[in-house]
Amino acid sequence: MKALIENRFGLLVLIMISLAALYGVAYVTQPAGAQPAPPPPAKVAVESVQTVCPDPAGNAVSVVVPQASERVGTATITPLKADSKPLVTLDKPGVLWQKTTAERSDPLVVKGVGAMAAGLETSQTVREAAGKTRGLVGVRCTEPTSEAWVIGPGPAAADITLHLANPESAPAAVEISVYAGEGPVLADHGLVVEPGEFTKIRLKDLAPSPLVMAVEVRTSSGRVAVAARAELGTGKGADWLPVSTAPAKHVVVPGLPGGGGHRELLVAAPGEMDAVVGVKVLTEDGFYALKNRETIDVPAGSVATLDLSTGVGGQPSAVVLTSEVPVVAGVTVTGTGAQSDVAFSAGAGPIDLGSVVADNRTGKKQSSRLVLSALGKPGKVRVQVLPRQGTPPKATEVAVPASRTEEVKLPSARGPYSVVITPLPGSGPVYGGRVLDDRTKGGLLVTLQPLAPGRTWALVPHLVDSAATVLP
Amino acid sequence: MFPRPAKQMASPIPTPRPHQAVTAIVVAHDGGRWLGDTLAAVLRQSRPVDRLVGVDTGSRDGCADVLAQALGQGNVLALPRSTGFGQAVAEVLTRLPAGEGPEWIWLLHDDCAPDVRALEALLWAAEQDPKAAVLGPKLRDWLDRRLLLEVGVTVDRTGRRDTGLEAREYDQGQYDGIHDVLSVSTAGMLIRRDVWDAVGGLDPDLPLFRDDLDLCWRVRNAGHRVLNVTHAVAWHAEAASRRRRRITASEHHPRRLDRRNAMFVIMANLPFRSLLWALIRNIFGSIFRTILFVLAKQPSTALDEISALGSVLAHPGRMIKARRARTKGRKQQYDQVKKLLTPPGAAYRRLADMVQGYLSGEGPVESAGRHHAASAGPTPDDGEELLTDTGVLQRIFGNPGVLLSLALLAITIAAERSLLGGVRLGGGALVPVTGGASDLWRLYTESFHPSGLGSDAWAPPYVAVLAALSTILLGNTWLAVSVLLLGCVPLAGLSAYLATRSMLPSTGARVWLAATYALLPVATGAVSAGRIGTAVVLVLLPVYASLATALLAGGGRRARRAAWGLGLLLAVGTAFVPLVYVLTAIIGALGATAFGGARRGVGVSVGIALGVPIVLLFPWFLQLARHPGQILLEAGLHQPSLVDGRLHPASLLTLSPGGPGLPPLWVTAGLIAAALAALLLRRRRMVVAVGWGVALFGVLVAILVSRVPVTSVAGSAEAPAWPGVPMAFAATGMLVVAALTAHRLAEFRAAGGLRRLVALVTAAIAFSTPVLAAGYWIMTGVTGPLSGDVPDTMPALAAAQSADGERTLVLRPSPGGGLTYTVLRGRTPLVGETDLPAPRQARDRFTIAAAGLASGRGGDDTTVLSTYGVRFVVVVAPVDPKISAALDSQPTLTRLSLSPTSGVWLVSRPLGRVWVADKAGARTPVPVERDAGGGLTVQVPAGGGERTLVLAEPAGAWTAAAGDTELPGSTVDGWSQGFRLDAAQHTVRITHQDTWHGVWLWAQAALVLMTLILAAPGARQQDAGPDYADPPPGERDVTPPPGRRGRRRAEAGAR
Repeated sequence: MKALIENRFGLLVLIMISLAALYGVAYVTQPAGAQPAPPPPAKVAVESVQTVCPDPAGNAVSVVVPQASERVGTATITPLKADSKPLVTLDKPGVLWQKTTAERSDPLVVKGVGAMAAGLETSQTVREAAGKTRGLVGVRCTEPTSEAWVIGPGPAAADITLHLANPESAPAAVEISVYAGEGPVLADHGLVVEPGEFTKIRLKDLAPSPLVMAVEVRTSSGRVAVAARAELGTGKGADWLPVSTAPAKHVVVPGLPGGGGHRELLVAAPGEMDAVVGVKVLTEDGFYALKNRETIDVPAGSVATLDLSTGVGGQPSAVVLTSEVPVVAGVTVTGTGAQSDVAFSAGAGPIDLGSVVADNRTGKKQSSRLVLSALGKPGKVRVQVLPRQGTPPKATEVAVPASRTEEVKLPSARGPYSVVITPLPGSGPVYGGRVLDDRTKGGLLVTLQPLAPGRTWALVPHLVDSAATVLP
Repeated sequence: MFPRPAKQMASPIPTPRPHQAVTAIVVAHDGGRWLGDTLAAVLRQSRPVDRLVGVDTGSRDGCADVLAQALGQGNVLALPRSTGFGQAVAEVLTRLPAGEGPEWIWLLHDDCAPDVRALEALLWAAEQDPKAAVLGPKLRDWLDRRLLLEVGVTVDRTGRRDTGLEAREYDQGQYDGIHDVLSVSTAGMLIRRDVWDAVGGLDPDLPLFRDDLDLCWRVRNAGHRVLNVTHAVAWHAEAASRRRRRITASEHHPRRLDRRNAMFVIMANLPFRSLLWALIRNIFGSIFRTILFVLAKQPSTALDEISALGSVLAHPGRMIKARRARTKGRKQQYDQVKKLLTPPGAAYRRLADMVQGYLSGEGPVESAGRHHAASAGPTPDDGEELLTDTGVLQRIFGNPGVLLSLALLAITIAAERSLLGGVRLGGGALVPVTGGASDLWRLYTESFHPSGLGSDAWAPPYVAVLAALSTILLGNTWLAVSVLLLGCVPLAGLSAYLATRSMLPSTGARVWLAATYALLPVATGAVSAGRIGTAVVLVLLPVYASLATALLAGGGRRARRAAWGLGLLLAVGTAFVPLVYVLTAIIGALGATAFGGARRGVGVSVGIALGVPIVLLFPWFLQLARHPGQILLEAGLHQPSLVDGRLHPASLLTLSPGGPGLPPLWVTAGLIAAALAALLLRRRRMVVAVGWGVALFGVLVAILVSRVPVTSVAGSAEAPAWPGVPMAFAATGMLVVAALTAHRLAEFRAAGGLRRLVALVTAAIAFSTPVLAAGYWIMTGVTGPLSGDVPDTMPALAAAQSADGERTLVLRPSPGGGLTYTVLRGRTPLVGETDLPAPRQARDRFTIAAAGLASGRGGDDTTVLSTYGVRFVVVVAPVDPKISAALDSQPTLTRLSLSPTSGVWLVSRPLGRVWVADKAGARTPVPVERDAGGGLTVQVPAGGGERTLVLAEPAGAWTAAAGDTELPGSTVDGWSQGFRLDAAQHTVRITHQDTWHGVWLWAQAALVLMTLILAAPGARQQDAGPDYADPPPGERDVTPPPGRRGRRRAEAGAR
């Protein structure tokens, strides 16, 4: 020991050994991998849902909550009027409730709480055999929002009515903008919808000229439920325009039925920049780019159209759009026959959290089909039918190969039924639409409903209490 | 009282001069030790005196006999013991009739031996200047014969005596010549008898001290001149003022007497207008000095000071009488006198001297002249510093410490260019700095903190430190934080330079150490990440080291004082970074065991140093002990983005703590190489080993700290702590090792050849670290999360519409996914408010509701939030459309605004801070007002049945009173404070009462004050100075040997 200390290099050696030991300790204790990512958002059942069926007069109104659960809850169906009493109170999940309402009826507010909220889905459907509004006319009842987009034929081509309803307790200050083929034709047309009130706006009064249009409804305060109805005229059909996703750089318009008829793509670029939108059609055989029509130019603030009738080739399909500039897109589908019916699809999100379609029918002449598209990864979903009466049949599993569209015929059932589509674990993003058609002598009646993300689950983000929030 | 007219005054002294008679008067009082030599010196004069009279004022050591033996019984006058000097002289003169022609009186003390030619020189000077009436010799020290005592004396307007000499100035002829001075000492004073008679001699009211000044002033007022003649030399023992003998002329302490007389003389002799100014200055000056003396633990001096002032002020009659007697010529001659008073700038010069002396490693130098200063003990030769006396500015800017600080300051400003000039400093660990000192004091002293969810925990004590500093900086918290955080590099450099002044002899080594220390990666990292805790500890760490050295190596009171000081500063450091205490405690315990046997009292001193922080920070320490993980954290926010979760071993060994703002690893290579090279030297191996021990210990702790993930108790994501402070410890160990062995480099260089080369290369490697660090820092600048201009997170809209105590939920997407949230109350939180822990139940419930809200699941999340008094929900950039859509979908929220940077939603039915819940569960808000004391007054309307009044604050020491009845309390929703209430209408007063909190605050204030006083540098201890009982060297008087050697010989001879 003494020799070690007296040696000139003794201390140095000791310290070097200690440093090496410290290095070893630090090396061994160094955590593997990068810093742990925060846990993914948790799925919780939705606690409360409120939807508005815009114009239920004479329509079959369907309400369903897909899942039976331990919890209790009720859903009420109330006409949108001040101090109105609920027409019906529902408390049985897992069963479709459907009723045709009276000829004169205000919009209906469907409100689910607790067990009757998770996945609450409502829709209104009517079949008109003749007349100006001949056709299958159906729409998914939407919840009040602060921003909504619809895209379809313009007031010059059809009779467009915008239905705004405010079931909330605060007044909604609404601004409406209309984009047409020639550019923005109406900017920030303002109106106020008082709580418990609704209004119908004939777009012809605001902007008579557009042949095609995209409408943006935005509230600066409060919320409104938005729906738009298009009547193309006698023999041309009528239907509701589904609410589209907000402008995005990647848009999927799902659920285009197979068979004959006209298919027209509408793309709006509501921003300040011109858009060059790449168009691909996803069919049962995979992606398909239209020859010489790989892209479509959309000037800023305007709506452009592209005829897909030949490109789709009668196959069930989805349209996938990519753009550097956020766009809104929809497709107009026309049925075959002497008197045609029209139906609309619009951009929709993936059904990662499942989706429910409330009103489906299968019969001799009627058929309901799901058109599911998987992008990138193969999709795998479970399809569960919930009839109005009786025990539900066994759920079926549907596999959609990667980058393919698959058409699923829904089983025949007695009376109307709901269908619940739930992605299975490991499934890639699935987009889809439901096609409901009715073969009549005059021609095919058709209505479409893009699958909207279900209201069953909400993703609760991982939330950390941190005073660092005050810092950018 | 003085015999007035005297025609002689006007009569010029006739020339050619006839024989001038000189009467020498030696007044003895217990001066037997010196009297013999004095008399011998007088009798040996080259120009013999004509008459020599001795006066003995009742000496008890046989002075009378000595006088009688030397002068003959007839020439000795015996007076009572209480006779003052002036009285004694006056007594003699009444008995000696004035002779024919001009006569001179030569006044001598018994401890004042004149040089052989003194009288001759004085008379010669008198002949040269016919107006000269008073002449005095140059006075030198009795023992240290070349030490200058006086070459004439003046005063400033506060009565402060000024000899115009530096402390311990040696006579090298630098003041030689005949000078006009304000006054000369009565020791060796030659005065014309007619003038003496005309002005009335020495004032009998001033039996001792300043009688000479008063006399000379009066002589000047009478139109004569007072000269100091340096060719005449006298050696003076200053026996009375040095308390080598008892003073019996007055029963008071000489110090008090001196102060009293000083003020009295000044006020009696100044013309009226100057008097008023002097009066004010003296009153305030005296009070200020008294306070300083109390703080310096010299209560008796303080008492003397204040009672001297009191004595002057309490006798206005005496003052008026004295002034009336001095009326004549006072105003007319004042112009002349004014020139001789100490110029007004002298006080600043004195201050500059003290600062400069401190910087250069001396103790504070008292340059006031020696009337009071006890003879200092032998000090190391500081000739160079005295020789370079070339102006204050040059001395300050020539000091390496000052130059180093300025260089570091320039580097800092260059590197922090991006931070300067912003509106709000913040980012990283630092909460945007808002508020002033009063806000911080309120935060520290209030028992309940209405911020965030509310907390009744102890505010972190660093808030008090910041508040105190802000108060000093005129309430500017931002300035205090900027100085501490942005200025930490120059401050750390300065503190390292000063702290090593007793440790390292070589200036070069000190500069290297200080620069390297100040530019450590820890320092730049702390600035970049806004870590004010580490910044403060960096500045304090060298002080710790210095005090710890004093504690271990020093002895007696010095060690004890260092212990108290270390304890206090350790408490400050611990308040910012608790880990400092743990590190210091471990090192201190090891030190105490190592040194405890060698030195007595080390154990107790270490105990004091380690005990003081615990006592001072006690309640907060208890909180800390409940959450041990917090010990690893420091003041400010804990964020995963500020630390390196997988700190590489190489970083840990190169003192790089990870996170933003760090130089590359190789920058510190020079330091580590130098410290390793020190291991090769054979000398001082013990110190080197200890230093390396500290370094290894620091690195080990750094490894542990950087590997343990912790969560702040105030809420944060989980991440390991930042190992900055242990790395600073490690670096300090290495620096000390390298710097202590630096003198070997000088030796190597002197040796020449290969060794010279080795020395140069080693120095270059060592200096590479600070140079590279500074260069890199300047080059990159501070880009880190700290920013000079942080935007305010609280939207003005929400801030303006929030009532008192209402909360705002702020959500922000975090970069890794997920969200963070915090709760604000109408404003950005203060520094320290973000470290307050909220009760767990309250937080958990809130988190669930907030998460539910952000998910858009609907439900009653908004209702839950409103029971917390939330009025606004704010989403800040980057606004996630999913979150804004989720909030939009809530029927109970109303959107007020939404932009890409922020969105604000209003809770449609907010409940506010206080609400009432009835039996059915319905909740209604009630109006509430806050009074100045922080209590709440609630107007509860009448309602049905039994109700609960709910205060949306964590349940605790709340009391509510409706009129005189106290309402029974309860806990609502598992966290909030409820009170049971009947159906009637009430006015309820709610207060938070925590008596112990207040008691502890006062106790803390008292303890801090006590520690401050105990730690403050106290009265200088009496050095074992020369003992005046030693006989002065006899024959060597005539040709005094050069200073120190002679003195040493003298001391040796005495033994």
